[in-house]
Amino acid sequence: MSGSTRSDFASVWSLYLWIGIGVAVLVFGAVGFAVVRYRERPGRAPSRRAELNLLEGTVAALILAIVALLVFRTFSTEAKEDDSSAVGAVRIDVDAFQWGWKFTYPGEGVTVVGDSDHEPDFAVPAGRTVSFALTSSDVIHAMWIPGQRFKKDAIPGRTNRFDLEFGTRGREQGLCSEFCGLRHSNMRFGVWILSQASYERWLAAHR
Amino acid sequence: MNGGPRGGGGPLVAWSTIMVALGLMLAIWSAGDASALLFLVGPAALVPLAVFSRLRPAPGGPRLLARVSVPVVVTALGVALAAVGLTGGLWLVLIGAEVGVFGLVWLAIEIVSERRRLGR
Amino acid sequence: MAGGAPVSRLAATDHKKTAAKVGIASLCFFLLSGLLALTMRAELAQPGLQFVSDHTYDELFTMHGSGMIYLFLTPAALGLGLYLVPLQVGASQVAAPRLALFGFWLYLLGGLTMYSGFLTDNGAGDDSWTATIPLSNSSGTPGVGMDLWVIGVALAVFGSLLIAITILLTVLRLRAPGMTMLRLPVFSWTMLVTTFMVVASFPVLVVAMALLLAERHLGGVFTGSTGSIVYQHLFWFYGHPVVYVMFFPFVGAVAETVATFSRKRFFGYRALVVSLLFFTALSMAVWGHHMFITGAVKNQYYSLTSTLLAVPAGIEYLDLIGTMIGGALVFRAPMLFALGFIVQFLIGGLTGIIVASPPLDYHVNGTYFIVAHFHYTLFAGSLFGLLAGVHYWFPKATGAMLRERLAKASFWVLAAGANLTFFPMFFLGYDGMPRRVADYEPRLGDLNLLSSIGAGVIAIGVLMVLANLAVSLRRRVPAGNDPWGAQTLEWWTSSPPPADNFTTLPRIDSYAPLLDLREREEEAAEPAVEVPA
Repeated sequence: MSGSTRSDFASVWSLYLWIGIGVAVLVFGAVGFAVVRYRERPGRAPSRRAELNLLEGTVAALILAIVALLVFRTFSTEAKEDDSSAVGAVRIDVDAFQWGWKFTYPGEGVTVVGDSDHEPDFAVPAGRTVSFALTSSDVIHAMWIPGQRFKKDAIPGRTNRFDLEFGTRGREQGLCSEFCGLRHSNMRFGVWILSQASYERWLAAHR
Repeated sequence: MNGGPRGGGGPLVAWSTIMVALGLMLAIWSAGDASALLFLVGPAALVPLAVFSRLRPAPGGPRLLARVSVPVVVTALGVALAAVGLTGGLWLVLIGAEVGVFGLVWLAIEIVSERRRLGR
Repeated sequence: MAGGAPVSRLAATDHKKTAAKVGIASLCFFLLSGLLALTMRAELAQPGLQFVSDHTYDELFTMHGSGMIYLFLTPAALGLGLYLVPLQVGASQVAAPRLALFGFWLYLLGGLTMYSGFLTDNGAGDDSWTATIPLSNSSGTPGVGMDLWVIGVALAVFGSLLIAITILLTVLRLRAPGMTMLRLPVFSWTMLVTTFMVVASFPVLVVAMALLLAERHLGGVFTGSTGSIVYQHLFWFYGHPVVYVMFFPFVGAVAETVATFSRKRFFGYRALVVSLLFFTALSMAVWGHHMFITGAVKNQYYSLTSTLLAVPAGIEYLDLIGTMIGGALVFRAPMLFALGFIVQFLIGGLTGIIVASPPLDYHVNGTYFIVAHFHYTLFAGSLFGLLAGVHYWFPKATGAMLRERLAKASFWVLAAGANLTFFPMFFLGYDGMPRRVADYEPRLGDLNLLSSIGAGVIAIGVLMVLANLAVSLRRRVPAGNDPWGAQTLEWWTSSPPPADNFTTLPRIDSYAPLLDLREREEEAAEPAVEVPA
């Protein structure tokens, strides 16, 4: 998977948002026009026209064309985002539980655990694909990293696999976004996006 | 026109057809996921209803209906009590069932005597 | 309701009286659930926990959502149909009036059962209105309050199903002579397709609740790696159509209102009928979009069906606008609420198209963006449509007019409050605020405060509507049969209608018989033909 979810998201979001704004402006404009132009006025009787099927068909066809465009862009972006087969990626197993997170780097001998009293932070190298395997030990949680514009459910008994590629260095906030009981609002974590060298040092320090 | 309207089932059958088509599409696309079967719930109720409505339209004309039907309320109370009893009070389920049966019997009597008055 | 012994009032079989009971009960649940929302917004006005604990907050949002969906807006939609459909099709009574009465009582008792959870040790249900497995099993959410929630939901939904069945049977079997299916008024069409969705999905929810109860008491129902997914399929197969059950009757009310106050018959009737059939069937096929982030459903199928909804929705908007264009618009209070619906629902609908795209849903699912989306469709949309219907049909049902200036003022207050409350939530969600949380990062405090102020404005608007209802019933201004110059059969009879609805009926040639009558009378001095009911 090339590129990041953040940029994939941005281009699809932009398409949908601007089409949506365009439709809204059109409809609000039409309503505004009707409300001003067709106010009841003495001496003007309302039209008796009640049907114009050619118009209906044309509008339906136009909307269908827009739907096709949106769906096409969505399908191609999603195929990218759902693909999780990168070779040579950093692998991280994530285990969500009430109310914290456990991050395991299989093969590196590193595990980071934290809960709602002590927020866990894990690290990733910038610019490389990170393959996650996400599951839960108890109820359904969801792992959300807003900076990556991505989340996935952590479901007990299932493993959800997905790839992310982190760009800008720094710390990104992560949270649980699937209601999971009492301390759902405190179930947070952090992602440190580091250079390759800093990342190696971080791994060594956490073994 | 004698009797009530015939048919009216057209929209029910049309809707059911679209449902089956959408369900088939999911079944194929998801390689046979069982959730596609849910699409059949609606058609299973609506198609027989459409057929029934075509074959036996409402008799039409005035209907004699009670203005008040207390047994209906009693039966509802029984059902609710029995349902609440499922939280772990078998005694409540039994009470609810008794109230519900009582209500149903009362309702049957009410409807039968209504029919008799209509026939008179 | 006419006076009478309390027992006969509780057990009256007249559909108008049952519908009035549904209306009153749903109003009470609306106010109760609304108070819970005000409490939530008071807590969320500032970061930190000021008024309630985490556990209490979980009960608040659960009972707010559950109350609004299961106990207010769904029953209100069906109650509106129960009142109007027999009148609109020229029938003297609903089909199976006892079944409707039975349905009302199950709904009411179900609602009381749900809310009685607050009186138990562990409190009311607190796993959101969806009660997702495994959190909703007996170890995730222990206590009898949650059991009462499950049972209450099953009763309320089953009761609603029964009411819908009587409406469906009425359209099928009790239409007046001359009223073919393609002469059904627009509102009755929207009710008819609503009953299709109810019949096709509500039984599945009742089964899901029964299975959930069994899981809680016996275990072993939703097991293995697929158990939680199976539950979600069963739940959302109902959980999506129900939001359309809470939409179509109100778009129908808006359509009738717009037609009457444009002095034109509704535009594009046949296109509307076709689009209603496709719209409602399609809305049964999108439920997987609530499960995009599970990775357990075919995202592409659900994304396609969900996005396709834009086509019939667009036709409906075209028809509403087409009705206004060329008309002679009169801006009475019902028309204001109808226009508010048209403008505000669109924002909810368009943001719905956004979340129909999985890559976009991957960011905003489970956040305040979704909360904003569905409050725009349900509150700024459907509730405004309901208010349009209430202001439009109140004179018919009660024989009294509502206060016009108070009604218009309440519209503007509610519109301001709705937008102030819910628009900031789009940004909150996008910026990282998940839903179902009692607390949040301090940097999100300003937008939350704005939203909470908006909730206060909504409360004022609601009080104004209640005041209008009260004042208008106490100091009555008589309405007469047809105060608006409307088009459909319910306006032919007296206000309120007699027990058997009609003593005579006009000729029925189209979906706007009274408009036809006026047009014929304009063209010639031809009197109406009277047909015995």
